[in-house]
Amino acid sequence: MWNKPTGAKPSSQDFNGAVPPPSKPQEMPKSSAPSSSFAPSTPQSMAETVTAHMSKISSGLKIQGEITGSSDLYIDGEAQGKIRLTGSRITVGPNGRVQADIEAREIVVEGSVQGNLKAGERVRLGGSSRVQGMMMAPRIGIDDGARYRGKVEVTRVEMARPTPASEPAIDAEALKPVSVNSDDE
Amino acid sequence: MNWIAKARPSGAATAAAPVKPGPAPSSDPSANIRISNSLKEFLWLLSDIPHARILDLGPIWQATVTFFVDKGFRLASEDMLRTWKEFLTDEEERLRNTPVGAEGEKISRSLLADRFLQSNLQYPEASFHGVLAWDLLDYFDVAVIPRVMERIFNILHPGGAMLALFHSRPAPRFQRYRIVDSQRFEVLPAPTLAVHSHVFQNREILDLFAQFRSSKTFVGRDQVREALFLK
Repeated sequence: MWNKPTGAKPSSQDFNGAVPPPSKPQEMPKSSAPSSSFAPSTPQSMAETVTAHMSKISSGLKIQGEITGSSDLYIDGEAQGKIRLTGSRITVGPNGRVQADIEAREIVVEGSVQGNLKAGERVRLGGSSRVQGMMMAPRIGIDDGARYRGKVEVTRVEMARPTPASEPAIDAEALKPVSVNSDDE
Repeated sequence: MNWIAKARPSGAATAAAPVKPGPAPSSDPSANIRISNSLKEFLWLLSDIPHARILDLGPIWQATVTFFVDKGFRLASEDMLRTWKEFLTDEEERLRNTPVGAEGEKISRSLLADRFLQSNLQYPEASFHGVLAWDLLDYFDVAVIPRVMERIFNILHPGGAMLALFHSRPAPRFQRYRIVDSQRFEVLPAPTLAVHSHVFQNREILDLFAQFRSSKTFVGRDQVREALFLK
């Protein structure tokens, strides 16, 4: 976790919502330039965004229940229920499968989400993302290749006060681990 | 919303000054921008509606989202063709696993359409002021289209507009569309998701949209017909 590869850093380019110039046609959309002003995301760059201050639901882990708190969260496993980290960033990795409404300061999706996304700052759908549900944020970035079904609402979102930092990112009381795939370890 | 009743202010920015639709002339052969009078008219019709709600039946693109959001519109997106293909794949899988002779082994196209619509295009009546169907209907199973059209008609607000493209010959390649500005969209070659199913004759198009109040068609230099229908 600490030994990040040289040059690895989370994508932090700001999204200004400007209409990009049309890209030249390509044979495959995945190879086309991203139409958002976010940097193009790759599974590798997503993985590199896991930091010391970030909780992680790894691939092979499945969690049901409500997740609240103030830590950033990276989900590369499965999560069902409700995720509410209003002051934090949630990243759904390429292997992540979430069936939950998500509320966070920032939401980045590379995997699959079935549920509403509500972000205080921004939502970004990566090129491999599959999202079904409403998307609400003041800024929304969509990479080419993202699959989305739902309503897009670009609006200022009133978020509840973030949970105090002393509280755990994952509400252990509410969580009910369903299965752990030991093959993944 | 009515293009006959709606006053057209003078000026180039209105829909009253059509240019020849079709691929935009360009020295760059790779430029795939299409000038679209139907898009211009579509936007003009919606321009008076505050926070008009649009349903895009193609894949989601940042450019399209930004364009509509900047205009104060509300956008919903549902990639119908992809969903339909995924639905058919699931149905095939289900049928493959059904024991021979079991009930439901064979279902009509109409029933298939009903099943598809149980989980798709699920919006309350009159939810949208505009629907962008692009060339979706050319790729859909002809037997299913009437049911889909019925649903689209229901979710359109009275006075709402629907934009659709029809190829005059089987499309040489599968393509997707995204909006560039209020009179142009970009045609993007894409991996083939579906084969061109049917070339609609003008009469068939009018029959398909018989419920709609009025229609306008623009034929491009490439013989692609851009049609706009008003509920």
